[in-house]
Amino acid sequence: MSLFNSLSVSASGMTAERQRAEVLVSNIANAETTRTATGGPYKRQDVVFEAQDVTSPFSSIFDAQMTSQGAGVGISQIITDQGTGDRRYMPGHPDADKDGYVTFPKVNPAEDMVDLLGASRSYEANVSAISAVKDMIQRSIDLFK
Amino acid sequence: MLDPLSRQLEQYMTLLSVRQKLVSSNIANADTPDYRTKDIDFESEFREYLTNPLKSAPNVTDVNGLRVKPDGNNVDLDREARLLSENAIRFSVASNLLRGQIKDIRLAISGGGTNS
Amino acid sequence: MSIPISPISIPVAPALSAMPSAAAAGSGASFQSFLQNAVNNVETANAQASDAVANYMSGGNQEIHSMVLATQNADLNFEMFMQVRNKVVSAYEEIMRMQV
Repeated sequence: MSLFNSLSVSASGMTAERQRAEVLVSNIANAETTRTATGGPYKRQDVVFEAQDVTSPFSSIFDAQMTSQGAGVGISQIITDQGTGDRRYMPGHPDADKDGYVTFPKVNPAEDMVDLLGASRSYEANVSAISAVKDMIQRSIDLFK
Repeated sequence: MLDPLSRQLEQYMTLLSVRQKLVSSNIANADTPDYRTKDIDFESEFREYLTNPLKSAPNVTDVNGLRVKPDGNNVDLDREARLLSENAIRFSVASNLLRGQIKDIRLAISGGGTNS
Repeated sequence: MSIPISPISIPVAPALSAMPSAAAAGSGASFQSFLQNAVNNVETANAQASDAVANYMSGGNQEIHSMVLATQNADLNFEMFMQVRNKVVSAYEEIMRMQV
């Protein structure tokens, strides 16, 4: 695996963190959504990261050394939290049940905000990695001069 | 034609590349549950190369002493960021030295010029 | 004829420690082995460089800086060979110019 493959690894990190951020943003935005298209309150979602081999578009398929020098990352599944959040007594609310309680999503916006900051920081770290590796590749090419 | 010092510089750059690939991988997996930070023992790998130039791929090992987060991941982004910069700088130094070596050899070959 | 042939003066280079010991001898017989050695070095270096470049292009496990160095090495060997060849040719011409 040459240095080019590590660019793919960092790119996979960026993609994964971005997807994670999207899910977190969706959670935060829907923290108070009591009615969705499928009925019922919004269900919180989580992503699960998994180390995966990534190939550069130029690498040969049978590169045996790939896993030994670093793996990329991907999202293996998006988990929907089937639990419900708190029920508040709001008898006049259009989504209140027969007892006058409205069920809210099981979202903790503060927690997801902190996770979002973490995703952003990880994303930036992957960007730095691409930049540093690109510099090293350029230095290698400069040996021609 | 390239002398032993140049070969050593080349191996130095190769080891730095391997290390940088692992750092990139660690960064990409900074939030992967149960992922463990990977690295090579740079100094001992390089010293081994000095005594045995034919040694093949370096050994990738787990890193000790890192705090394990609740999800089993032990990647420290600060450590990885520091290594990222350090590897890049060392690589740049080595490549500049090598460029100089090549230029010197070329000069020595052709610089004699017209004397005979 | 008893006029001694001026030996080839090779410019001192860091890499010359790797050169064959025939360089130390100033006799005529070492020209051929010296040239032959230079040719062999060029062929070996070229083969290594071609391998490295082919490996790199087909996406294999090839470090970029190693590939660049392999081609530079081939270039340097070739330049050295050309210098040696030029010296040999000019020495030959000098001999031919001499009047018996």
